[in-house]
Amino acid sequence: MSSEVIRVENLSKVYSTREGDFHALDKLSFAIEEGGFVSIVGPSGCGKSTLLQLLTGLLEPTSGQVLIDGIEVRKPLPEKTGVMFQDATLLPWLTAEENVAFPLSLCGTDKKESQRRARDLLKLVGLGDFINHRPAELSGGMRQRVAIARGLVRDPRILLMDEPFAALDEQTRFKMGEELLWIWQETRKTILFITHGLTEAIYLSDTVLVMGTKPGRIIEVIPVDLPRPRTFEMISSEFFGKARNRIWKLIQEEAEA
Amino acid sequence: MSKPSLIRYAILLALIALWFLVTAMEWVKPIQLPPPAGLWAAWQADGSRFLDAFALTAAEIAVAILIAWPLGIGVGAVFGSLRAVSAVASAILGSLFAVPAIILYPLFIAWVGMGPESKVLFGVIAGFFPIALNTLSGVRQVDESYVTMARAMGASRLQVFYRVVLRLALPSVISGLRIGTALIMISVVVSEMLASFGGLGYMIAYHRTMFDTGHVYLGILMALLTVLTVNWLLSMLESHFSKWQERGADL
Ligand SMILES: Nc1ncnc2c1ncn2[C@@H]1O[C@H](COP(=O)(O)OP(=O)(O)OP(=O)(O)O)[C@@H](O)[C@H]1O
Ligand SMILES: [Mg+2]
Repeated sequence: MSSEVIRVENLSKVYSTREGDFHALDKLSFAIEEGGFVSIVGPSGCGKSTLLQLLTGLLEPTSGQVLIDGIEVRKPLPEKTGVMFQDATLLPWLTAEENVAFPLSLCGTDKKESQRRARDLLKLVGLGDFINHRPAELSGGMRQRVAIARGLVRDPRILLMDEPFAALDEQTRFKMGEELLWIWQETRKTILFITHGLTEAIYLSDTVLVMGTKPGRIIEVIPVDLPRPRTFEMISSEFFGKARNRIWKLIQEEAEA
Repeated sequence: MSKPSLIRYAILLALIALWFLVTAMEWVKPIQLPPPAGLWAAWQADGSRFLDAFALTAAEIAVAILIAWPLGIGVGAVFGSLRAVSAVASAILGSLFAVPAIILYPLFIAWVGMGPESKVLFGVIAGFFPIALNTLSGVRQVDESYVTMARAMGASRLQVFYRVVLRLALPSVISGLRIGTALIMISVVVSEMLASFGGLGYMIAYHRTMFDTGHVYLGILMALLTVLTVNWLLSMLESHFSKWQERGADL
């Protein structure tokens, strides 16, 4: 049985700026089922990051609401949602292990227990040999892995990711995608993944939400009916190509509008 | 022993040797530079008075540090994190810093007298501004994405501030502490020279009027040692907190 873990209802966000009100998001509604992998794509500035911040509870909606497990989000809920951004934002003076354990230290978890969890997660993301390395000693991809582990450390059911692999080179990016799918399958999290990469979005997701701009809204929901596990060959399949072209066209039209 | 410190000791030894040589050959007048024996004589004659003076100066510096550090860091941190006012606050602090505090010294004497209080006050004012300014700019430059991330991870405002922002601003705070502490030490000694009844600055100024060059140099030497010791302690503090910055290459 599957159930909704994220529900967005008539969500709007208006920024007040010097030039007047700016409608960043206009009446968004959608829901994500438990264990789902949903990507969001859309032209730059359409409000993807704004949406993610609203889901995280970092921003307050102007109207409408975000429900997680049926409860309205009003502030960050780290025990329910883990987050990850384009920048790993690891604390440079802490080791990989300490960085992963950082969210636990904020809520006063027992030190031994935190350490154990951090190590297990670093092993899960393939960094078992790097627990004592500092961020400056890790590659960009490794840093993002540490950030994934940190996002999982409080065992949230949901992982919210804003262009997490955008700063990585293509090969690393593809590898990280594969790894994320593996982690997703292992941990059965619900993932919301924002990206500019159409191939990445289709390859990873069950559903791709395409956003339009001015004001930001969802213009199409594209189900990805490809079997799992996904393979590299699927990228050249007819279905994949069609879906990709469809999204590309939608975003082009929006960007020109 | 590392190579740079070897070189440093070699230079020091060479200077001392030069001092012996120059004074023994009487290339300079004893009143300009006394022979090492002159300092020894001064120490034997007035050693305990010099130790008292040193104790007073050290205490004034310590108290000024204990006030100026938290005050400067506190003010800088508060104004640095209030985005709306930090630019204005920085400009105001900057222009106040540019006012030479020495012109206010007569006022301090009028307010709190010629005793140690006026030296501490003078030192605090001299040290406060660079500490506050550096802390402010360090806090202001912290990348907003760290704050966002910390909040998303469930950090309270206080935790965001202490565990993330202040820690990221630390290199800047420490450079403020270095400048501020140097100014505190200078200010305390100079103000003792200007008007006081004690301290190393007083000893230097008093004996200068007496043409006791040996005493003057002994006072200078002790003031120098004090400054060097404090600087050494500060560099220990700095290297303790900056270990993580330098290790980037050893992967
Ligand atoms: N704090 C703010 N105040 C005013 N306007 C803002 C603010 N934050 C974002 N905006 C505006 O809202 C719009 C959406 O921004 P957002 O960052 O959510 O876009 P995005 O879809 O994530 O873009 P990108 O793909 O480039 O990351 C943009 O036009 C942006 O200028
Ligand atoms: Mg964005």
